[in-house]
Amino acid sequence: MSALSELGSLRKQKGQASRSPLEKNDGKYAMFFLGPWLIGLVLITAGPLLASLYLSFTDYDLLSDPEVIGVENYRAMLEDPRLLTSLRVTFTYVFVSVPLQLIAALGLALLLDRGMRGLALYRSVFYLPSLLGGSVAIAILWRQIFGTSGLVNQFLGLFGVDGPGWVSHPDYALDTLIILNVWTFGAPMIIFLAGLRQIPEMYYEAAAIDGATKLRQFWSITIPMLTPIIFFNLVLQFIGAFQSFTPAFVVSGGTGGPADSTLFYTLYLYQQGFTNLDMGYASAMAWLLLAIIAVLTALNFFLSKYWVFYND
Amino acid sequence: MRTTLRTTDRPRRRLITMATVLTAGSLALAGCGQADNLAENSGEEPAAEGGDCEQAELRYAWWGSDVRHQLNQEVIDAFEAENPDITITPDFTDWAGYWDKLATGVAGGDTPDILMQEERYLRDYAERGVIANLDDYDIATDAIDENILAAGQTDGALYGIPTGVNVYSVLANPAVFEQAGVPMPDDTTWSWDDFQETAIAIGQTDGLFGMQDHGYNEPGFMVFARQNGEQLYTEDGELGYQDETLVEWWEIALNLQRNGGQPSASETVEIQSLGPEQSLLGTNRGAMGAWWTNQLTAIETAAGTELELLRWPGESQGERTGMYFKPAMYISMSADTECPDAAAAFIDFMVNSETAGELLLSDRGLPANTDVRAAIADDLSPSEKKAADFIADLEDEIIDGTPVPPIGAGEVAAILDRYNNEVLFERMTPQDAAEQFRSEVEAAIG
Repeated sequence: MSALSELGSLRKQKGQASRSPLEKNDGKYAMFFLGPWLIGLVLITAGPLLASLYLSFTDYDLLSDPEVIGVENYRAMLEDPRLLTSLRVTFTYVFVSVPLQLIAALGLALLLDRGMRGLALYRSVFYLPSLLGGSVAIAILWRQIFGTSGLVNQFLGLFGVDGPGWVSHPDYALDTLIILNVWTFGAPMIIFLAGLRQIPEMYYEAAAIDGATKLRQFWSITIPMLTPIIFFNLVLQFIGAFQSFTPAFVVSGGTGGPADSTLFYTLYLYQQGFTNLDMGYASAMAWLLLAIIAVLTALNFFLSKYWVFYND
Repeated sequence: MRTTLRTTDRPRRRLITMATVLTAGSLALAGCGQADNLAENSGEEPAAEGGDCEQAELRYAWWGSDVRHQLNQEVIDAFEAENPDITITPDFTDWAGYWDKLATGVAGGDTPDILMQEERYLRDYAERGVIANLDDYDIATDAIDENILAAGQTDGALYGIPTGVNVYSVLANPAVFEQAGVPMPDDTTWSWDDFQETAIAIGQTDGLFGMQDHGYNEPGFMVFARQNGEQLYTEDGELGYQDETLVEWWEIALNLQRNGGQPSASETVEIQSLGPEQSLLGTNRGAMGAWWTNQLTAIETAAGTELELLRWPGESQGERTGMYFKPAMYISMSADTECPDAAAAFIDFMVNSETAGELLLSDRGLPANTDVRAAIADDLSPSEKKAADFIADLEDEIIDGTPVPPIGAGEVAAILDRYNNEVLFERMTPQDAAEQFRSEVEAAIG
């Protein structure tokens, strides 16, 4: 309190024209504390980012010096059938798994929001897959569960169904990865939970007095009030799913197989860069991915005007 | 009440929008940062001339199992004891990580002084001037079989010294044959038809398969092509086989798959991802499989029974024999090393000294140096001995080695595996797959 009033009197003494020495120093301190982060940004993110932009215009095999070839890499992408395959796989993965994941997250959040005994425990348990989902161990576990003689087929066997090897069949392999992503609904669930807490109770009370059913309340109060949160989750999960790499890498042993059915874009990029030693092409691919994500995110923001409700 | 809602909700809106934008942006940036975290290519130093380093400090990079790390360390210790002025630092990873790490290291101007190479990458590194021509250094190669040594040469210069010899062969489990009531074939005379009949006959027994799929791997196809007087790669680094040959190769596997001689396509994919120990042979579910001679020990251990090494079918019917000695791996030297003479001395020690031979035994295939191979014959385990005898028996039948694969050959294994899957899942006919395989491989090695 005294410090504040001192500051106030100092300000008055100096008048409005010149800023106090303390304020002048604010900039310096800000730079001092931001420094480590800025250095990291420049060296670890921006540097390689610009380098990859340059490399995307070169023929670079990692072993000899890059050679500038203009837009050749970008042109070659137009004629690359595997690039198309990888885009198809990635888009399927993103557009199927993200909505399903958000529905699962919202459903669980609604259940947990009602308040019950051991709620904290449930919340942690449901959040757990999110911590583990991207890990190598879970990807290996997934390979076991969905294998020919894995848990899933053992269960199906009880009903006389002879299931295929899910992860090793080109028609189903991607589905198992989609299920893996849906299963990691913990992070959006936590955010949904926080969002649900923000909705004022009085809306529900008013609706109840007017005779609205629970379902009606859900559609007319919960969902509209939650749209900003849904939007936030959608954008985040969308971008995350586009960049998904580990599950496909581990489950397919780095091949994107069987028969390219799990060839995620990032996995193909990795293969081009490190297996095929074509880092120029891989860099160009990275920029295409950035462009795709940027355009789709912009579209997402644009569309949000029509369905996100900010209550003001 | 309304007013309070408004005032609290406005910042909330801005906050959420801000948070969304910021998080989205930083996620996208971070993602790209990870994907493109490349080392910039630093200007390569020209190769150091001469090499009189009084105190040489060298780095030696290899891939492999824990057993190999242990063995290599013992070799390094033995060498350092004899050469007190040379220090060798080990640098090792697993197979897949090795090539990523090596390529990135080279890009950063940090090539290991001494490094392990493999035939599919040798030319990549040789023609781009990363590894040195070993003819220029004092390393004895006269005790190494000519055919094998030739596999380390490209354009007449020696870029890698083969450490050991492997043969791609058919491993068979006599116990499974017996269980199925099928006689073991005579591998000196059997044809591809005999092979298919045998495998399918074994598959008639519940729970047993005749063969693990062999269509996915280039070495097997190389044998097959050579039997037809063709080859996968020519000396000039081009494709040297007819599409019909590849079609025929895949049709054998399809025939087995359709008639129970080998597992279903998705089981095949699954088994192949698991490695030698979990293979059909390793788990006593299959009678035969295509493996390298140096994998015999691991698979015998896993199966807990004695296995036999067989020649590929068709060796006596084709235009010529197709089997070949393959250098298990090569030792190469960086073209940039500051102490080439010291590095050469270490390579010479690994290849030619009995001390190193006794330590390494057949870890890198049977020693390529025939004197060392003879000297360690008594130290080999029974299964290593079996492989050694098998290789000795083939000495007269094998005509020549295979040329060093062209630049880009590292991609071909994955391409062949992919089209093999397309064929096994019957999503493509062998004809279409063979055509597309050719065009994709030509693009990769072109």
